[in-house]
Parts: sequence; C-alpha cells; structure tokens
Amino acid sequence: MKNYNMRYYFPIGLLIFIFLDGSLSNVFAREFFTGGISIESLLVLLWLVMAIFYGEVDRLMLWAFVAGLIFDMYYTGILGIYMIIFPLVVYLNRQVCRFFTSSFLVVLLIYLIDLTLVSALAFLANSLIGLANISLADFFVADLGPTLAYNLAWFAILYIPIKNFFEKFS
Amino acid sequence: MQKFFFNKKLVITLVALIVSFLLITFSIVVRNNRSTPTIIQQIGNEAFGLVDRLVSYPVAAVTSVGSNVSDLLNTYNENKKLKQQVDSLASQKVENQTLEKENKQLKQQLKLNKSLTNYTKITAYVLSRSPSTWENQIVISKGSLSGVTKNSAVVSNKGLVGRVVEVNKSNSKVELITTQNDSSDRFAVQLEVNGEVINGLITDYNSKKNLLVMGQITSKTKIKKNTKVITSGMGGNTPKGLLVGTVASTADDDDGLATKVYIKPAADLTDLSVVTVAKRTD
Repeated sequence: MKNYNMRYYFPIGLLIFIFLDGSLSNVFAREFFTGGISIESLLVLLWLVMAIFYGEVDRLMLWAFVAGLIFDMYYTGILGIYMIIFPLVVYLNRQVCRFFTSSFLVVLLIYLIDLTLVSALAFLANSLIGLANISLADFFVADLGPTLAYNLAWFAILYIPIKNFFEKFS
Repeated sequence: MQKFFFNKKLVITLVALIVSFLLITFSIVVRNNRSTPTIIQQIGNEAFGLVDRLVSYPVAAVTSVGSNVSDLLNTYNENKKLKQQVDSLASQKVENQTLEKENKQLKQQLKLNKSLTNYTKITAYVLSRSPSTWENQIVISKGSLSGVTKNSAVVSNKGLVGRVVEVNKSNSKVELITTQNDSSDRFAVQLEVNGEVINGLITDYNSKKNLLVMGQITSKTKIKKNTKVITSGMGGNTPKGLLVGTVASTADDDDGLATKVYIKPAADLTDLSVVTVAKRTD
C-alpha cells in the first residue's frame, strides 16, 4: 500500500532545502563568493533528483516548478529562470532514469550532469539580461567547477539519509 | 507542416520558453520602475519570508556557537588592544557630542532644517543571501511596515553595503555594491585631497581582488593611498557621508582620459548579520 504521508513530507523537505540554500550562502558567504570564485548552493536540486530515483512523489514536475518559482521570487526577484530550469531537469531525469538501475554512482553522475545543466542554463539566461558578464572560460573555472565540487560534497553526505527517507516513506 | 504544429512536446517547449522570456522582461520592468513588486509577488514573498525565518534561525544559532568558541580563543589579545582604544574613545565621544550640538545650533541659525547628511536609521537582520551567483543580493527582515523605501542606502557597522531594490511588507531585498548588474543604479561618491573634493561614481567591482572601482573622475589631482571615500549625497537617494572604503590604488582609465580609483570596501560584504537602512529624510 502506498504511503500517503509523502504528500506532506515532500513539500516540507523542499521548503527546508530551498531556505537552507539561502542560509548557507549567507553564513558561508566568505568561502562562497570571494577570491574570484562563486559557489551556488543547489541543495533543492539534490532533493528533487533523489525524489525521482528513490521516491514515489505525485506531480513532481509541479513541485519542481513551485521550487523554481520560490527561488526566483524570494532570492532574485526575476521570475522565469529557475521556474523553467527545474521542471526541465526533472523531465529529462525522468526520461533517463528508466534506463538505469539506481545506485550511488549512477545517481552521482546524473546529478553531476544536472548541476552542469542548471548552472549553464542559469548563466545563459543571466547573461542575456546583462547580470552575468563574464566570459565562458571564466564561468567554467570560477563558477561551474567550485559549484560542482561543493554540491557533490553535499551529495556524498546526504545520499544515504535521503535515500533511506524516501525508501521508508514511499 | 501539419505534423509540426501538432508535435505536443515542441509546442510545450516553445510556450514555456516564450512565457519565461515574457516573465523575465516583466520582472525587470517591475524592478526598474515600480516602488513595490506586484501584489502576488508580495504575498508570496511575505509567506516565504516567514518560512525562511524558521529555517534560518537554527542555522544562525549553530553558527553563533561556532563563532563564540573562536571568539573565546581570541579574547585575551583583543582585550589588550581594545583597552588602548577605550581611553581615546571617551574623549572623542565628548568631542563629537559638542560638535553635533554646535552643528545643530548653526543649522538652526541658518534656518537649514534638513541637509544631505540627515537620515533615519532602520536596523534589520539579514535573513539569507541569494544562492544565485549572478545576483549579489541579501534578504533583510524589515520592509515597508518599518518604513523601508526602495533605493535607500544600506550600511553595516563598518560602511556602505548596498541599496534596497525590492520592498515587501515585512522583508526587502538589498543589492550589494559588489553587483555585476549593468543596469543597477550607481553610488555617487567623493574623496578629499588637500581640501579639493573629487567626485565620481562606483562603476564596477573587481571580484578577484575584492576592490570597488570608482570611475567618471574628471580631476587629475594625484590621489594618495588610504584616502577615505564617502558617499556624496548627490543623485537623490543616498545620504551624504556614509563611509564606502579607502583608496587602494589608482590607474588610468582605458581611454587614458580619466582616472580609475580602486577602493577597498570598508564593510565586510561576506559577513553580514545586522544591517542598517539609511533613509534620507529630506
């Protein structure tokens, strides 16, 4: 029988991870934003990707849209960037996930590709509206590299807890 | 041709892209022209602000335990240094009070009730920082209910931090001076060399060296290192006399006509927990 508690737990987790991103960015601002590098905390994406591979969550695309909307509205004030990117990533992952059996390495590699996709699309969108004015090479070195390293570290730490959580409740 | 239009996925993708572009344009127009965002955005931001308080409180609590421990370790050395400063502070305070009083009396005699240096302070704490790399923004805990208005300058305990770009009822967004945004408003600043006042604008930020760039300078006067740079109060929204930073170096502009001044920011823009909104009163 399906466990309907997920209906409540999933959105709560989503909100916690969204606002944790902002709080961590504020607390570790010295490490994240100085010395020519910038790290983008995307814990909310980890939550979404783990839900695809281990959870049975209804209307995941809609939740991804909501997460993107909150991200845009609360953190940047420019609607329409993450709002589109998050559902897109969820859609692509759903297409891909049926070809693989979920394991630590597989999810890690797919999460790596997701992170690259999200960062690159966000960079593209922001450079169109004049917010990101660095070259593509600078973007790879100063932004994408550190962002991947940081988020994959969180992945390694949170993989087992989140996996257990989803397997228990769905 | 028929088949092309009935390809559902393609249509959805295109519609999503168009909606996205429209929304981006719409939000930029709102951000540049309106004093508050649309009502739907405001309601959303209000609600998220509440949830954010719930999440950021424990994080802040854990951080403060960590910093308390490191504070304890440094206390002895710091105490030694501070003791030396305290003596001079007391006399400076008295001097300041007398000067302030005198200033007030002189203004009264001139019937000058409001000047560029007058501002009201609204203290707020920092809820969170935008995780996005391209937006150097923080969210603070006071909004229009406490009197925050758009475009007011924001200072930390050491110096200028940024300006308010979006005001909701109980929280607002502050764009830091380190922003790379081409279309954001610039701060009018000035510095003084041997009695001559040199005006300019904060035009850019060098993130590798953590230095602000002051451009649009017409004067050719040689500027000494460590000269203090303050806001000039020109341009309408910023009060005069907020400390921006100190001069780190100077260089010729790209076209060789003007001078570029590199400024070391006085405020630590990566360690913000409490900030003050300086709202001009004139």
